[in-house]
Order: sequence, then C-alpha cells, then structure tokens
Amino acid sequence: MIEARELTKRYGDKTAVDGVSFEVMPGTVTGFLGPNGAGKSTTMRMIVGLDRPTAGAVTVNGKPYAAHGAPLREVGVLLDAKAVHTGRSAYQHLRAMAATHGIPTRRVREVIDMTGLDRVADRRVGGFSLGMGQRLGIAAALLGDPQTLILDEPVNGLDPEGVKWVRTMVRHLAGEGRTVFISSHLMSEMAQTADHLLVIGRGRIITAGPLEEVIATARQATVRVVTPRSGELAELLTDRGATVTTVAPGQLEVAELTSAEIGDLAADRGLPLHELTPLSASLEDAYLSLTRDEVEYRSETMTQGASR
Amino acid sequence: MTTHTADPTDAAPRVAVKPVSFTRVLHSEWIKLWSLRSTYWTVLATLAAMVLIAVMLGVASMVEEGAAGPDGQMAIGMGYSFAQVVVAVLGVLTITGEYTTGMIRSTFAAVPTRLPALAAKAVLVAGVGFLLGVVGVTLSYVASYPLLGFDGAASLSDPEVQRIFWGSGLYLAGVGLFGLAIGAIIRHTAGAVTLILGVLLMLSTMWQLLMMTSDWFTKSYPYLPSTAGERIASPDVSGVVADGPQALAPWTGFGVFMIYVAITFLAAAVLLRRRDA
Repeated sequence: MIEARELTKRYGDKTAVDGVSFEVMPGTVTGFLGPNGAGKSTTMRMIVGLDRPTAGAVTVNGKPYAAHGAPLREVGVLLDAKAVHTGRSAYQHLRAMAATHGIPTRRVREVIDMTGLDRVADRRVGGFSLGMGQRLGIAAALLGDPQTLILDEPVNGLDPEGVKWVRTMVRHLAGEGRTVFISSHLMSEMAQTADHLLVIGRGRIITAGPLEEVIATARQATVRVVTPRSGELAELLTDRGATVTTVAPGQLEVAELTSAEIGDLAADRGLPLHELTPLSASLEDAYLSLTRDEVEYRSETMTQGASR
Repeated sequence: MTTHTADPTDAAPRVAVKPVSFTRVLHSEWIKLWSLRSTYWTVLATLAAMVLIAVMLGVASMVEEGAAGPDGQMAIGMGYSFAQVVVAVLGVLTITGEYTTGMIRSTFAAVPTRLPALAAKAVLVAGVGFLLGVVGVTLSYVASYPLLGFDGAASLSDPEVQRIFWGSGLYLAGVGLFGLAIGAIIRHTAGAVTLILGVLLMLSTMWQLLMMTSDWFTKSYPYLPSTAGERIASPDVSGVVADGPQALAPWTGFGVFMIYVAITFLAAAVLLRRRDA
C-alpha cells in the first residue's frame, strides 16, 4: 500500500510534481502512465526517499519509507537499470545490497536464477546490455522478497524479447499477489500489464481508476457520416452541440452525438445518409486525448524552436 | 527454492530479512570496497610509492655520505607525501564512484537513513589508510635497511621513529577521510580529486609565495591542513629554518588537521541527508 498526500516537488521555479494524491492498493498492478517529463520518476523517487518532497508526504505500508527498519522487505525498487557501479560484478552488487539486511547469499543466488542472470553474474556490470541491466535491477528489487514493487519504465529501450521478458515477469510477480506500481509512457504497454491506472501529466494526476474505466472515459467515440448534403448536416449537428470535422468531401466525423441521434436528426430534415459508422478511439488516441493539454512540449512549440 | 526451515505460513516472508544495522551496512561496504579493482590498484600503488621513496633516499644516502645526505628517519618519513595522493583519491572514489555510476541510489534505497552508509565508508577508508601507512613504513624500513646499513637506519627504539610508524598510518587515515568527505560534498570525481590535491599539495606552496606579501601568511602557514597534518608522519624539523614559520608539535599538528577533517565531514553529513540522490 502506497499513499501519497499532496506530494509536491519543485526544482527552482519548475514544478515537477504538483500536489499529487493517490493510493496504490495492495494486490494490484497499478500503471503510472504519463508522457516523458510528467513527473513519474520524481514521484517514484520520493516514495523511496531518494528525493525529498518540497511539500506533502508519502507513506509505504503506513510509514515513510526511511522509517522502516528493513525497507527492502517492504518495497523493492527499480528506478533505473544503471543504479549500479559499473566496475562491480552483478553477483557482488547483489551481495552488497543483501548484506545491508542480513539477507543470506542463498537468496542472492535465487534472484539471479529467477532473473536468468546466472551466466553473466560474475561479469562486471559495465559491459551489460540494457536488458541485462534491467534484469539486474529487478533481481535487486526482489532481494528482500517485498510485497510491493516499484518499477520505473522497466521496458524502456528494451528489444522485443526484453519487453516480453519484463511483461511475463511482472505478471508472474502480480500472480504471486504482490503489489506492483509500474510506470510507462506507453498506453499499450499499460493495457497489457496493469489493472489500475494512474494518469499523470505535467505533475498532476489527470485521472485514476480501474483500467477499463479510465479507457472508457478517455475514449471519445466519434461517428463517421457520409452524406451528399454534408454542408447542411454539418450546420445542423453543430447547432446541436456536436463537434464536426470534414474529413473528405461529403464525409464528416462527428463527436459528442451518438449515431442514433445523428440518424434521427438527419431523418427529421430528410437528409439522405449513405453511411453512419460509430468509430471507437484506439488506446493511444484515448491516452493522447487525456494528456493533450498536459504534454510539456507540444509539437507546435518544437516547430517554432526549430525555425528560430 | 524450497526451504524447510521457514515457517510455511502464507503471511510469513519466505526470505530471512533482518533490519538494517550498522554492522550489516559495514559488511555491505566491505563487500563493495573489495569487489572493485580500483581498490587493489590503490593499495598496491600506495605501498609501491612509499617503498620507492625509501629506496631512492637510501641510494641518495650512499651517494652523499655525511650530515648533508638523507638519514634513516627521512627514508621512512617521506613516503607519506606520495602515498597521500593515492589514499586521497581512494577516499574520494569511495563515494564519487557511487554518484557517477548511479550506485548511490541503490545504496540509499537499502539504507534510507543514509548516514550509516557514510559512517561505514569512513570506518573502512580510515582503516585502510591507517594500515597502508603502517605497513608502508614497515616495508620502507625493510627495503631501505640494506642501503642505509645499521648505523644509517633509524633506530626503532627511538620514540620519534616509532611516532613516524604510527603517525604515517594516522595521517593517511585522516587524508582518506578528508577525501571521502570532500567527495561526498562535490559528488564528482574530477572536481573532488582536484580540490583535495589542491588543498594537500598546492596550498602550502601558495602560502610560501604569499609569505613575502604579509606576515599573516607566515604565521598561519603551520596551520594549513597539510603542513599541520603531516607533522605526525614526518621527522622532526623544528628549528631548521630559524626565521621561517614555526612548525607545530606533531600531535598538535595532527589535532589541527583532524579539526579540518571533522568540519568537512560534518558538512558532508548534513548535505548527504538533505540532498536528493
């Protein structure tokens, strides 16, 4: 159980996390979704006491992370794959981490086997691929056999095989009844792993809840209408509060009215319809519509910057 | 995977996890220290530098016989000046190596109160520095003895000579701690190394130049970190230059040096607690 209350982090005059409150419930896989720079990593670092909140507080299992006598038993954390000294072997890194909590070497061997690192465990971490580094990070997070795992962008930059491995691992861990708090900037990734979503943009929580609910609210259903008298119909629908986009001559995309409403309105006026198709937004579209106003640098600003 | 010693209750954790304690953090830091190649290089380089200086001075004493040549005390009492460079770097690397690689986040995630990790590093750096000093002087003595001969070599029963043995260890322990504290404040290897070597090696030269401008520099010269600290490790030079700055007594000098180290450490501890990792 992770509880954040009014959690805020400012760097100078820039606010990275802005009064965020949320709960990560036990036994769930909660996806922490947001564009890059939205404040996901900062929030996660504050949970485990690496960054000090400017205001607000966050507790893990009822206490601040640092107040736990054996924090690695409460929470396992993968913040970034390369939080490891490059000159040390994976085995020695895990052994040193384990020693702080008196965790036996047997457990170090166990997590090495679980993450498939046995062949490279004695090599220095500096030569590891990103995928191997990610496995080592997860191995370290599992050392204390914690009920809660925090994984920051665990599939970021991985090849398809690595992505598949992380996904399988997360499902396996969740299957064991662990709480997993996992961040990503990819909606599709979250849809495959999470059952709860916490969507963040520009340091603020935009929406939170069960995955299907969040997606349903975010999906703005549109209707494709094909009619020879598109001008008249567009005017009519706009008067009724719909948003109408002309996609092609004679073809409209209508938002905020159902296909039934559009059909009835057209029939009342005697306007012929050649096609009336409800369109459901893709996951990515849903996500984009959620975070549209919250992305830090929009494409427009980038174009402006380039032409300067 | 299966263990029969653990209680097979659902809620009970299957892995034996104990609370973080200073002894456990010390064990962790011990593993970290000796699982890096740089540690072994540092140890070897320190000992080699000290022995080399002793041998060179031994050879010089053979070439230049008489009072003008270096004596046995110098042969064992000069090695620290080179060894301190390596030990300072070891102290710095112990912490900046973690900041530059990102390891510090793993360290602080495991020991979120942070100070035990710094304290454990301090114990190890000081211990290694002390042993290097004492072992280095011993090796220097053995290596230069054949060159100096019985009459030339320092007398082991002389309290001044004994002080050089222990003092070299103490000074190098202090230098290691100084490096660690500066490393914890600066957090970058290059910057921290430059700063500590500047303080240990260049500050006194700068002061010597500035002495011409003001009497204040002459008076404060003995209190510089390096000039004060190295008194414990070097042969007595009191009254060598009648008109120059008066060197502090060995233990007074070391005390002054450790005050600098303690203040730097305090600043490092405060910053370590406050700053984001």
